[in-house]
Amino acid sequence: MDKVFVIRNGAADGLPSRIVLEAGEKLKLTLVVMPGVSCERSVRVELNGPGAEADIAGLCLCEGKDRVSLELNLEHNSGGCTSRQLFKSLADDAAKVSFSGLVKVAAGAQKTKALQESHALLLSPDASVQSQPQLEIYADDVECSHGATTGYLNPDEQFYLRSRGVPEAEARRLQLISFISPVLQRLPEDLAAELSEAL
Amino acid sequence: MAERNEKILNALDSGGEYKEGFVTDVEQEFVPKGLSEEIIRIISARKGEPQWLLDFRLDAFRRWQKMTPPTWGHLELPKIDFQDIIYYAAPKRDEDRPKEIDPALMETFDKLGIPLQEREMLAGVKPRGNVAVDAVFDSVSVATTFRKTLAEKGIIFCSFSEAVREHPELVRKYLASVVPVGDNFYAALNSAVFSDGSFCYIPKGVKCPMDLSSYFRINASGTGQFERTLIVADEGSSLSYMEGCTAPMRDEHQLHAAVVEIIVEKDADVRYSTVQNWYPGDAQGRGGILNLVTKRGLCRGEGSHLSWTQVETGSAITWKYPSTILKGDNSSSEFYSVAMTNNWQQAGTGTKMIHLGKNTRSRIISKGISAGHSQNSYRGLVQVGPAASGARNYSQCDSLLIGSECGAHTFPVIRNANPQSVVEHEATTSKISEEQLFYCTQRGISAEDAVALIVGGYAREVLQRLPMEFAVEAQKLLSVSLEGAVG
Repeated sequence: MDKVFVIRNGAADGLPSRIVLEAGEKLKLTLVVMPGVSCERSVRVELNGPGAEADIAGLCLCEGKDRVSLELNLEHNSGGCTSRQLFKSLADDAAKVSFSGLVKVAAGAQKTKALQESHALLLSPDASVQSQPQLEIYADDVECSHGATTGYLNPDEQFYLRSRGVPEAEARRLQLISFISPVLQRLPEDLAAELSEAL
Repeated sequence: MAERNEKILNALDSGGEYKEGFVTDVEQEFVPKGLSEEIIRIISARKGEPQWLLDFRLDAFRRWQKMTPPTWGHLELPKIDFQDIIYYAAPKRDEDRPKEIDPALMETFDKLGIPLQEREMLAGVKPRGNVAVDAVFDSVSVATTFRKTLAEKGIIFCSFSEAVREHPELVRKYLASVVPVGDNFYAALNSAVFSDGSFCYIPKGVKCPMDLSSYFRINASGTGQFERTLIVADEGSSLSYMEGCTAPMRDEHQLHAAVVEIIVEKDADVRYSTVQNWYPGDAQGRGGILNLVTKRGLCRGEGSHLSWTQVETGSAITWKYPSTILKGDNSSSEFYSVAMTNNWQQAGTGTKMIHLGKNTRSRIISKGISAGHSQNSYRGLVQVGPAASGARNYSQCDSLLIGSECGAHTFPVIRNANPQSVVEHEATTSKISEEQLFYCTQRGISAEDAVALIVGGYAREVLQRLPMEFAVEAQKLLSVSLEGAVG
C-alpha cells in the first residue's frame, strides 16, 4: 500500500487507526496535517509476519491556535521486519504540536530494524512542541534507534542567503522548504506545490 | 546464537557474586513496627528534635496518607506493606564510652573499604586524595571524618541530626526547598520518617579541599532506610560529593526511600557521584532492595553548575531520576549514567532537565546494559520554558542487550516552548555484535575478556567522569557482573 492522507478542515481523511501487515507486505504511508487544522490522531501499525516493511512519514504545518496531537504506535510482533518513521513539524503563532511515537519490539522478534526520527521547528515565541519518541524492546538481536530534535531556523543559513541578495522572507521560505523537503518529495506534485505556497 | 547467549548468562549468574552481603552482629534498638503519628513522635523524640521539625514530619505524614504510589514507571513493584516496616533502627551506644565508635561497626566499614579513622596514607607523607566520610548505619550516622580539617575552611559536614541541633537556621532555610514535602509519594514518606543522612554547607568562595562522601549501610532486617541529604553550595564554591551503599543478602525486600536536595548558588560548582550497589536479589529474583529515591538539584544562581554521575548496578528495583532545575541564567547541568541490570532486576532511571533561565545548557548521557531477565528503562524529561532563550540540550541514551530474555526501553519527553532554543535527543538499542566479538577473539582475546572490554568501552564516557577512587570501584563492579562472560 502506498498512500497519502491529507487532514484538512471539513474533509474526510480516511486515515485508518489500525494497519496490520502480514509476511512480506509493504506499507508506505504519508500523512499531512494542513495549516489551520486542529486534530488528534492515533495510528497503530502491526508488523505480524517476517519481511514486512513500514515506511511512514508525516508533516504538520501548524499556525494560529492549531492544536495537533499525533500518536504512532509501531508494533514489531514478528522478527525480520523493518520500520522507518520520519516526522517533521512546524509550529508558528500560538500553535501547539505534540508527537508521540512508540516502537515496540515483542519478545522473540529478532532481526528487527526500526528507525524513528522526529524534528520540529518553533517559529514563534508562543508556539510549543512536545515530542515523546519511545522504544520498548524485549528482544536482543535488533537495531533500533530514534532521534528527536526541536529548534529554530538557523541564523547563519539566513545570513548566508541574505548576504547573497535573497530577501529575508524568501530566505526564510527556502529554509522551511528545505526542512520539510524529505517529506515533501513523497507527495504528489500538486499537493507539494500547495504546501510550498502555504509557507 | 542461543547457545552463546546461554553461556554468557550462566557465566553472569556465577560471576556476579555480591561480596557485601554479610550481616554485622551488633546490639540495636528499634522502634515498634508500623507507621503512625505515634511512631513519628517516637522517632522525633528519640532524636531530640525541635518542635518545628516534628511539625514538618507530621504535616508530611498527613499528606502522605492522602497520596497514592506512582504507577507510571515501567516497573513491576511488589505491593509494599508500609505497616510491616521498622522505621528506625540504631546500633546501641556503649554507655561507658559514648564518644567512641563500636568496634563491630568499625570493622564493618573497614570490610567495606570505608575508613572511619583519619589515618595517614603513609607515615611521614601528607595525606593525598583523602575523602571525608559520613557513614550511616541503618537509621543513624555513626561517624563523620575529617571534620576539623573541613571546619578550618568553614565547611560544615555532619550528620543531618547534628545539623538540626547545631545549624537549625540553615536546615530550616533549605529543607524541602528543592523537593517539596508533597512532591511524590515516596518523598512525602521520607519527609515524615527520615532518620539520618548528611548535611553539607560550603561557604562563599570556598573550594572544598577533599571529596566528601556519604556511605549508607542497611544492616537490620525488617527495616527500611530513609535518609535525607541536603547539600548547599554558596556563591563561587565548589564541591565533589560521592555516595555509596550496600546491604546484606536477604530473601525479603527492604525499602530504601531517600531524598537528596542540592542547592547551587551563583557560580558554584557541584559534582555529585553515586555508585549504587544495594543487594540486587538472588538469581531467582528473591529479595533485594527496593530503591525508590528522589534526587533533585536547583541551580539557583547565575553560572551555577551541577553534574550528576551515577553507576547503578544494585537493587532489585530502582526508581530514581536525579533532576536539575536550571533557574539561574547561564547555569548548566549534566547527567551521566550507567545502569546495569542482571537476573530479575528492574531499573527505571533517567533525569529531568528543566530549563528556566537564559542560555542554560544541559547534557544527558545514559548507558543501559541489560542481561538475564532484567528490564532496564530510561525515562527523561527535557523542558524548555518560554523565558529560556538560548537554552541548549543534548541527550544520548544507548542500551545494550545481552541475552534474548531481557528488555531495554527508552521513554523520553521533550517539551519546548522557546523559539530560540535547541533540544536534541538520540537513542540506540543493540547487542554486542558478532563482528566485534569475532574481531577480538581472532586476535587472541578470550570471548570473556572481549565482552568485558566492549562493555567497558561502551560505559567509558560515563566512568571517566567519576572521581578516581570511585572510577576504580565502578569498573570493578561492572567487571564483577560480567566476570566469566564466555562467548
